[in-house]
Amino acid sequence: MTPDQILADVRAMLVEIIGPEYALGIDIGMTTSFEADLELESIEFVKLATRLGEHYGHRVDFVAFLADKTLNEIIDLTVGEVVVYIADRFTPARTAAVDG
Amino acid sequence: MAEIIANGVRLHVQRLVPRDRPCRSGRPAIFIHGLGIDNLSSFYYTLANPVARAGTEAIMYDLRGHGVSERPPNGYRVVDFVADLEALLDALDLAGPVHLVGNSFGGAVALGFAVANPDRVASMVLIEGHFAVAGWAEQMESTLRSIGSDLAAGNTQLWQKTYGRKLGRMAELADALINGTTFLTDLHKVDTIDPRALQELTCPVRAVYGEHSDVIGYAHQLRQFLPSLTMTVLPGLGHFVLTDATATLREIVVNWFTTQDSLIDR
Repeated sequence: MTPDQILADVRAMLVEIIGPEYALGIDIGMTTSFEADLELESIEFVKLATRLGEHYGHRVDFVAFLADKTLNEIIDLTVGEVVVYIADRFTPARTAAVDG
Repeated sequence: MAEIIANGVRLHVQRLVPRDRPCRSGRPAIFIHGLGIDNLSSFYYTLANPVARAGTEAIMYDLRGHGVSERPPNGYRVVDFVADLEALLDALDLAGPVHLVGNSFGGAVALGFAVANPDRVASMVLIEGHFAVAGWAEQMESTLRSIGSDLAAGNTQLWQKTYGRKLGRMAELADALINGTTFLTDLHKVDTIDPRALQELTCPVRAVYGEHSDVIGYAHQLRQFLPSLTMTVLPGLGHFVLTDATATLREIVVNWFTTQDSLIDR
């Protein structure tokens, strides 16, 4: 799974969550900020986390990803940080470790 | 996203289960958020995760009319929110005692639930908990009505244009709830809690308030009525303890569940 594929997935989920009308004016890329650029509401971020879990399965534990972050760090997250986290979960070494 | 029909209303529910260790006990913690523009995310990013990692399943839900739960046109009395919680626990097959964590208005729901169902509550954590005593509904209604009339008089699209999508969405939701449902009038139909019923509660209660909170008066009344209360007043803080003192609260809440479960299991 390449970062480009993951970015496409995350972008599609975000467009669905925030609505195509608003998303139309934003080029969602790796440096796009959830807060400053997308103005994602916190409950919408919960929706995204749930969708990611449903889409990628048990390898992607978004709750654990957020666990060590402060509220400010979560607010400052970019789309790229989420994409990199997911890509990391699908590296061969990680996949072998998770799937045992 | 889990959606559960409880008391005839579609509720959005999130469950966090400890991943790398088994649940410490069969008693999950149910998180009940505040009113208006609040929703389960205020717990999702603060307390729920550390509680789950420490070994207690964390269950959060959006109250009716809030977050992404259904917004029925009526049914916004405290007893309706209590009935929703009863039905939700039934739907989740949780017949035994659970821990309750209520923030702000969620505290009034937790207390109402505990008085009606004393056997279903293992312990309670009240964060800036509201308390349905005489005068409470009038105070809440007056605050919310002023927000509601601002929203009704204004234009939520104008909010969006002026303040951005996020605040615009919040204004839209608050407008729909305050001006589009019986929320305000229902709030007024509160049955105040009988102090004698509180005095009979045996479950341990942990309360945390901010020193300068506008609801600090409830802390003093709880002290009077709850025999098993442990209270912390955080100096220098107002009502928004959950976001302004998250680290302190995490420690208090995680320690509380660890201690309560070990006492119960002993």
